[in-house]
Amino acid sequence: MYRYLSFIAPLLTFLVLLIFWEFLVNYNKVPLYILPAPSDIFLSLIINYKDLFSSAFITLRITLFAFSIASSLAILLAILFSQSKLIELSLYPIAVIFQVTPVVAIAPLILIWVGFDNAEYAILILATIVAFFPVLANTNLGIKSVNENLHELFSLYGAGRYQRLVKLQIPFALPFILTGMKTSIGLSLIGTVVAEFVAGSGTSTGLAWRIIEAGNRLDIAKLFAALILLVILGIFLFLLISYIEKIVLKRWHDSSNI
Amino acid sequence: MLTFKDIVKSYEEDVLGPISIDIKNKSFVSIIGPSGSGKSTFLRLASGLIKQSSGLIGYTDNLKPKMGFVFQDSNLLPWRTVLDNVLLPLELTKEDKSKSIEKSLKWISRVGLGGKEDSFPNELSGGQKMRVSIARAMVQEGSLLLLDEPFSALDEVTRRRLEDDLLEIWKTNNITILFVTHSVTQAVYLSERVLVMSSGPGIIIEDLLINKKIDVGFEGTHEFLSQVKHLTDILRNEGI
Repeated sequence: MYRYLSFIAPLLTFLVLLIFWEFLVNYNKVPLYILPAPSDIFLSLIINYKDLFSSAFITLRITLFAFSIASSLAILLAILFSQSKLIELSLYPIAVIFQVTPVVAIAPLILIWVGFDNAEYAILILATIVAFFPVLANTNLGIKSVNENLHELFSLYGAGRYQRLVKLQIPFALPFILTGMKTSIGLSLIGTVVAEFVAGSGTSTGLAWRIIEAGNRLDIAKLFAALILLVILGIFLFLLISYIEKIVLKRWHDSSNI
Repeated sequence: MLTFKDIVKSYEEDVLGPISIDIKNKSFVSIIGPSGSGKSTFLRLASGLIKQSSGLIGYTDNLKPKMGFVFQDSNLLPWRTVLDNVLLPLELTKEDKSKSIEKSLKWISRVGLGGKEDSFPNELSGGQKMRVSIARAMVQEGSLLLLDEPFSALDEVTRRRLEDDLLEIWKTNNITILFVTHSVTQAVYLSERVLVMSSGPGIIIEDLLINKKIDVGFEGTHEFLSQVKHLTDILRNEGI
């Protein structure tokens, strides 16, 4: 019962809000360039589906690419941290500096470095920077959280560094890594969109570019349509990682039953 | 089997010793004492997991024996099945895989978990987890088994069953057991010899050979009760 309710309740609430929105806009005769009704947005989505879906594909491609690079680098770096305290002490503060520096502030610099003709690379780099830290921090935490008794067990049987890493630390950190990835996938989408805004069009015509273009033309219905696609992308990506988490942790971790 | 000579363990201050003691081959020795008396430190020193600050630890023939360790909580790897958990020590010591599986299955069956080989730890009860832990400690078929308050979190019935199973394993495998517990009755019931430790830094304040004329029904005998009383009085006199 609760399972159905958790699905139906937000859906009904959303529908009621849409109806209320439609009614308010029509009743008050709000101009289309201020706030379009949901029906107008839906119409715009159908009319502009070719542009919007190809842009959504570009945004999705960069997001997934940035996420893959960020996750792989972050996991590798966290593994390096676990092997050498010196490397951790040397590099962790730099990672924190990247994390706390607003991506908007470094975007022009990256753009200059990669060239204005290669805006897509700049977006990729910026999205990777944004998505990097949660996976690094969570993997690092996971590896460090291995309980002392388990380490003692491995010591008792003379486990080497590699055995300890592969058979203990990485599997133990897996739920932490996946939690970091869930945060990171959303951030890489946000990073991609923000970078697209800042980097401008160049050769890239992702959803953010469609939003800017629609805004400049006061085509607010199209702007909303692009926004809705972004939300759907975000939800899809989150569900994708949640599904992977469920498959990977399957029977052995309590969180996979939630 | 194992000799401690003037062993002291200190961190910022002394936590154990000086202790000098001989543990005979194939004996079952329990160690009791209050929290902080260094019982677990004693086991970790015996296993070589930590080094003594001073003194000498010797093994028979100067050869460190293969040993198993059972921790207070079962300490299983949650991402591994029962079979894979029991296999772990053999994997780490790179023993032949097919023989390792054979040995592991034998020990899983031996501790009464036949049919649970593919279960994950979160699908087992507390008692079953502890059985897996014992199987894992025994799978190398070493000669020394160290147990650090293994049954303290279990209910009475499960604890009694596991105690009897442990006695059976000890008798049929010719192993030496060092067993840390808080419980005087458990120590007297299980062991041939009980070491009582003082509050930290722990030293041995009593070394009692248990007078056990019969095995079955020992708990109801006068000998059992008087030895429990004797040890309880020692702990009480120590203000423990």
